[in-house]
Amino acid sequence: MQSKTSFFNPTLFKKNLSRFWPLWGGAVLIAVLPPLAMLTALLDRGFRSHGMEPLEMTSAYYYVVSWAVPIISLFYAALCALAVWHYLYNHRSVSFYHALPVTRNGLFATNFLSGMAMMLIPYAAAGGLSVLISIPAGIFEPLGVFMTILYVIGQSFFYFASATLIIFFTGNPFAFAAFYFIFHFFAVLAEMLVTHLMSMFYLGIVQGYEGVTEFLSPTVYLFQNLYPDAVTAEVVTADGWVDYGHLQSVTLDHGWVIGVYALIGVVFLACAWSLYQRRRSESAGDVVAVGWMKPVFRYGVALCSALVLGFVLYNVVWSSFQHTQTADALPMAVCMAIAGVIGYYVASMLLAKSVKVFRDTWKGALATAFASALICCVIAADPAGVESWVPDAEALDSVSVNIYGANGGSCSADLEDPAAIQRVLDAHRAIVGDRDVLDGGTRGSLGDVHVNLIYFDKDGKFHYRYYDIYIEDESVTQTNVYKALAALAADPVIQEASVFGDVTNNAEEVRLTGGYVEGLYDTETRGFVSTDLTKEQAQALEAAVRRDIEAGRFGRTLFMLDYNEYIDSVYRFSIQIHYTVTREYRDGSTRTNSDNVYLTPSVYCTETIKALEQAGVITDSRRPLTRRQYDENRRYDDEGEWWDYEKYGADAEIYA
Amino acid sequence: MIHVEHAVKRFGGFAALDGASLSVPAGSVYGLVGPNGAGKSTLIRCLTGIYRQDEGTVTIDGQPVWENQALKARTAAIPDDWFYFNQATIRDMCRFYRGFYPAFSMERYEKLKEVFEIDEKRSLRRLSKGMQKQAAFWLTLSCMPDCLILDEPVDGLDPVMRRQVWSLVLGDVAQRGMTVLVSSHNLRELEDVCDHVGILDHGKVLLERSLAQLQDNMVKLQVVFKDGGGVPEGLPVLHTSAVGRIHTLIMRTSAEEAQNLLAAYEPMLVDAVPLTLEEIFIYELGGANYAVKDIVL
Repeated sequence: MQSKTSFFNPTLFKKNLSRFWPLWGGAVLIAVLPPLAMLTALLDRGFRSHGMEPLEMTSAYYYVVSWAVPIISLFYAALCALAVWHYLYNHRSVSFYHALPVTRNGLFATNFLSGMAMMLIPYAAAGGLSVLISIPAGIFEPLGVFMTILYVIGQSFFYFASATLIIFFTGNPFAFAAFYFIFHFFAVLAEMLVTHLMSMFYLGIVQGYEGVTEFLSPTVYLFQNLYPDAVTAEVVTADGWVDYGHLQSVTLDHGWVIGVYALIGVVFLACAWSLYQRRRSESAGDVVAVGWMKPVFRYGVALCSALVLGFVLYNVVWSSFQHTQTADALPMAVCMAIAGVIGYYVASMLLAKSVKVFRDTWKGALATAFASALICCVIAADPAGVESWVPDAEALDSVSVNIYGANGGSCSADLEDPAAIQRVLDAHRAIVGDRDVLDGGTRGSLGDVHVNLIYFDKDGKFHYRYYDIYIEDESVTQTNVYKALAALAADPVIQEASVFGDVTNNAEEVRLTGGYVEGLYDTETRGFVSTDLTKEQAQALEAAVRRDIEAGRFGRTLFMLDYNEYIDSVYRFSIQIHYTVTREYRDGSTRTNSDNVYLTPSVYCTETIKALEQAGVITDSRRPLTRRQYDENRRYDDEGEWWDYEKYGADAEIYA
Repeated sequence: MIHVEHAVKRFGGFAALDGASLSVPAGSVYGLVGPNGAGKSTLIRCLTGIYRQDEGTVTIDGQPVWENQALKARTAAIPDDWFYFNQATIRDMCRFYRGFYPAFSMERYEKLKEVFEIDEKRSLRRLSKGMQKQAAFWLTLSCMPDCLILDEPVDGLDPVMRRQVWSLVLGDVAQRGMTVLVSSHNLRELEDVCDHVGILDHGKVLLERSLAQLQDNMVKLQVVFKDGGGVPEGLPVLHTSAVGRIHTLIMRTSAEEAQNLLAAYEPMLVDAVPLTLEEIFIYELGGANYAVKDIVL
């Protein structure tokens, strides 16, 4: 018999579940595999958890919530939505459903609840089985289970509500699939498109993804931001062992975001309901089912085509004629206009379900061509000053600098010191001030210098800049760009961070343990030797290295354009300083690992060489060779292989 | 019972219904006829709550059809392309219909099982088109509707089954006072079952009358004029044809009045022949520029 309420029809609900049982049944089958694996593992161990704590189960649940549920729900919600709403896409079925004695409100509520049931049944099966297994194993943690249920329901609701909203915008399953995934990754795709366009016109901008509006792409945002946050402590166990990472509590970091998305899901659902009241049954089969969305679709496709296809056309047709780093605005405008018109007509054909659209839509096509070219010109003119933008020092939390010198060397540093950050900003201003030097060429006969700048704002955002300097002749050394970068490369704070940063960053405790020197030339054996350093020798060496850094002696060779001067300056041997470093990791655990600092000194690093001499590592018979000394004295045998001194003996004088 | 007033339904710029009005008395069988594209299916979709008319009113028993759950529970429809769930059997669809139609009668369902003689456990999609149509009637008549709306209902049925189906429908009309609106191009068949007819063309109802009124309002006369003369001018003739000296005249008037009009010309022979619904349809629409065109290919 028919339900008395208009908002729920049990017959339809049961029919939906019984018709689509292969969908949710298959999902159940897949979902219960991990708990079953856990069950078999426990059975193998006599149902003992072997020291596993209940909170570790909570942590495992939260890993699933943060990594698996967003991606699974994204795809599974689309399938469930298509299952319960697909009748809207077919004339026969939509006529059948809408002729039934049930209101659209009733259809909406019943189908939505059916879909949500299909969404949650697999999670409930997996969760229920996990709980049933964890109780006898003694690893059941009720709060974690409760929170996991809320998180799973929240995400499932959001994804299914978003899929439902897209269903009501579209009139066929292909359009649904396209719109659904564009909707969920729109922010990421849009940012990549925009940064790509900017990278074509603005020096320093590279195509990439900074995640400025990542929250608009929930799957990416949830995947990036949700993670189990564990608090640990050192605990002495009953059998006398010290457990350094004993879990005290586990929470899901950014778990509140799921609640926000669930609220957004409520808004989506309200919009979907409103669209259903207005949706015409005859829109079944259309690409876009809502009248006012049709121009949005038409011009949206045109814009995307202008940006994507426009770049492709430009690269195919014009890139060979481009002699600067940035794109030529006029050819790009023409390419974007052509591509925009192509996209406009494709969208018009899809909307009209006919290829005969030219006569009625030529005015729109003309407007699209004009708008596409205008967008190109406006971006090329850079009215917002994106290219010349240098951040405000006060807004920055830290800066990451990577400089790749002309001869292959590099230095990298993460800086938090305000004075050092200010020097980076000054160098950045010098770079944007010398735009023409940077834009002048696309390859340098004397080499290339590259610099990466990543600015981390105090509010968590970051900005990325990348500059190439193509060095045609030595006159470039007189430019502000070159001088600023050379000064930056030798900056003590930057070199300190570059040399020791990998070891000291995020470290709770750093203990120097020793060292190692490799590649010194032994004048007696005429071979290359390596030697270990004691802790004391390494400490003295570390202090000497710091003095050289402070004096600006490290980094001096990075910008040497004269290759002869460079190979006369850089030594061929290398130094390692060994440490043990204790760090707290993202999962809350604290671990101690070994780490090393690697150095290749130059002839300017006098304190470092002196320390090695005082330690007895460099002696009269064990000498450091420069690159030139090494290259000139290295011999090859008749077959072009390296000279094997042990095999052939020494028949040439090596530098002594 | 069914009342449509100035209904307009547009698809884009095209008006499939352009001010259609009709009235179906309770307990009657109303035949809706019209050329292809006249708007019959659109009107039926408005009557079954699938489409909402852009203008005008569509009511059954004085209540608007749109989103009227109680009213739709008393109304059943069999469209030209009846829908069933993939993999569903008649029994499955029976359970589904029972959940929606409060008056669904299992007793009726069981009785109709003997009439239709289809295995109710067979998948519907494996049945022939005619058998699917039988299944549609089986289920729909089991809903015990007060109002039955049919679109090309007997397409695909064999002559015996056609008669059987019409017998069941007319039985419900006689016993329960069920109102039937049926759209069909099979005018010969409609003539047998309908007591009211409406002709729809270009989204408008050109005329609607009882069948008797319709037949009284148009007459076919076979006339032989004196001296072998032609049809005199001034007569309200819709269509003429001649075989030898015998002229066949279609006139939009009653037989008695037509004979009075012709009496002035002292014809040698005047014989009134009843018009079929098909002829009425053709000559009415002929006046609305829908005559059969003599095109030489």
